[in-house]
Amino acid sequence: MRAVVAYTWARDVADAAVRQDGTVEWRKDKMSPGEDDHAALAAGLALTTDGGTLVGLTCGNGDASWALARGVEQAVHVTDATPHDDDAATAAVLAAGVRSIGAVDVVLVGDSEEHPGVPVALAAHLGWPAVVGVTTAAARDGRVEVVRTVGDLEETLSLAPPVVVAVAARSAETRVPGMKELLAARKRPVTRTTLAELGVDVPDTLVARGTRLPATAPTRVFDGEPGEATRQLVAALRNEGVL
Amino acid sequence: MSATATGAWVIATEEKRLAAMVRAARALGGTVTVVAVGPRALADAASAAGPDGVLWLEPAGAEPVEAHAAHVAAAAADAAPRTLLATVEPGARALLGAAAVRLGAAVVPGVLSLRTEGEGVVVECSAAGGAAIATLACPGPLAALFAGDDDVTAAAAPSAPVRVLDDGTAPADLRVVGRAASGRSAGVRDAERVVSVGRGLKAKADLALVESLASTLGAEVACSMPVAEDLGWVAKERYVGRSGQHISPRLYVALGISGTPQHMEGVREAKVVVAVNNDPAAAIFRTADYGIVGDLYDVVPALVAALSS
Ligand SMILES: Cc1cc2nc3c(=O)[nH]c(=O)nc-3n(C[C@H](O)[C@H](O)[C@H](O)COP(=O)(O)OP(=O)(O)OC[C@H]3O[C@@H](n4cnc5c(N)ncnc54)[C@H](O)[C@@H]3O)c2cc1C
Ligand SMILES: Nc1ncnc2c1ncn2[C@@H]1O[C@H](COP(=O)(O)O)[C@@H](O)[C@H]1O
Repeated sequence: MRAVVAYTWARDVADAAVRQDGTVEWRKDKMSPGEDDHAALAAGLALTTDGGTLVGLTCGNGDASWALARGVEQAVHVTDATPHDDDAATAAVLAAGVRSIGAVDVVLVGDSEEHPGVPVALAAHLGWPAVVGVTTAAARDGRVEVVRTVGDLEETLSLAPPVVVAVAARSAETRVPGMKELLAARKRPVTRTTLAELGVDVPDTLVARGTRLPATAPTRVFDGEPGEATRQLVAALRNEGVL
Repeated sequence: MSATATGAWVIATEEKRLAAMVRAARALGGTVTVVAVGPRALADAASAAGPDGVLWLEPAGAEPVEAHAAHVAAAAADAAPRTLLATVEPGARALLGAAAVRLGAAVVPGVLSLRTEGEGVVVECSAAGGAAIATLACPGPLAALFAGDDDVTAAAAPSAPVRVLDDGTAPADLRVVGRAASGRSAGVRDAERVVSVGRGLKAKADLALVESLASTLGAEVACSMPVAEDLGWVAKERYVGRSGQHISPRLYVALGISGTPQHMEGVREAKVVVAVNNDPAAAIFRTADYGIVGDLYDVVPALVAALSS
């Protein structure tokens, strides 16, 4: 099977602090792959173990070697793609990147909390179906078999390629590449391309008007020694009608 | 966008947030259509939620709703709604994405509210992982992944006509080949009260402390993911969060849990969240309703005493 894993490269929302005036401040400028991207990559490797190829695809600040150090043979980097608020715009860029790779059976994307519209819009741009919220994937008889949890059920789906599959990570990455893999990654080919070369022009149609603090009530914290604090808490909970 | 684009489509594959989405769509002006992809009961619920009409499509036994994305997109291209709404739920999301791209609509996640402004729509959506709310103006067509509150108070509306959506578009070749109980069901799922413990617990034997509070409250015991997955102190079907149980108890007491977004996602629908943590800077003190800063080994016995008096 020929697969592409598209991964994002962005600041971690855990590093975002919101000021009193509602503006967002980034406490760290560190960029990292999406939280789910390692799971998408693992699914891509699982789909291509039997003689397939897995190609990495990233945009903008993305570090192509992240995938190359994890067993991906080659990568495409759209160097001048900038982040969009519109997931369909991001998806249009990724779709052009996928097309530049040629015949592809499956595109894997991290099913990110921040950009849940990317995989479904990407599929639509390619004219393929999309299945999201997946935890694992495997190739079987030329089809893609995926598993996902729906309520209390574990659902297995058999998909005819080509298809876009979005994978949700269940935990943090457990095995981080070592020096040997990082060095090997440097030798693997990266195709650097631009929006103009891909022939995509995605104007931003959305106009950002700024951010504000959510209107949630702050946590009521009871201080003092445990006896007094817990008495106050119990009184408050009785008041709420939850005891 | 075609200049004639008008009205809103609510794409639904389950009843969750359906009434809230119809209400949000209503507020935009113009006609409101629910596209219900699922069993007849879903179409009936949609019909009673207050739209002008319902388009209903029922997937055959082994077809996931995603198999009908092209079908829904073709119908959207005909009707040319100005705004699309759906939840982030996998099936609904796939349908929305297909329709959005056909309409040339911008896809905006985490939408909390929408309003019409001139020819366009202005939305508020969550930003920076939910820590902030962003305002975006959408001059063109818009596909909103709706994350606003469920409308539980919605009054039953006169039923709208249900029309079967069937243009003969063949479903995509996607099949459900297996469904098995995931073992995720546990007492915590439907509990009214839950006492949950995180890595603030020092030893497995100290679970007795947690259990004493749970039994005083008549609560089920739950935990954070590492307590189940890494330490194995509590059964895996009892951990709460993004990868675990999504629960909606009236009371959730978190003991020694830092409150990462992945954990808190599992209790987004809890009524009251109480946090006990010895670190005043713990993230959980930014989202909980009530908190006690202190060592759980001191606070829990005091809490049991306070509850018993
Ligand atoms: C893709 C992904 C999915 C994930 N899914 C889930 C999920 O579904 N559920 C989940 O829970 N996690 C999930 N996680 C993990 C999550 O990010 C956190 O790592 C985890 O929730 C932390 O657990 P914790 O709060 O118990 O531990 P910690 O973060 O270590 O927090 C322990 C807390 O206990 C406090 N403490 C220590 N001693 C005491 C004491 N004596 N008294 C009182 N307080 C004390 C500390 O101040 C600290 O705040 C996921 C992570 C990823 C990357
Ligand atoms: N799922 C994804 N896969 C690959 N690239 C992405 C994905 N989401 C966003 N991008 C790109 O990564 C960069 C950062 O995007 P964002 O995540 O929106 O901050 C942008 O250039 C996007 O085009």
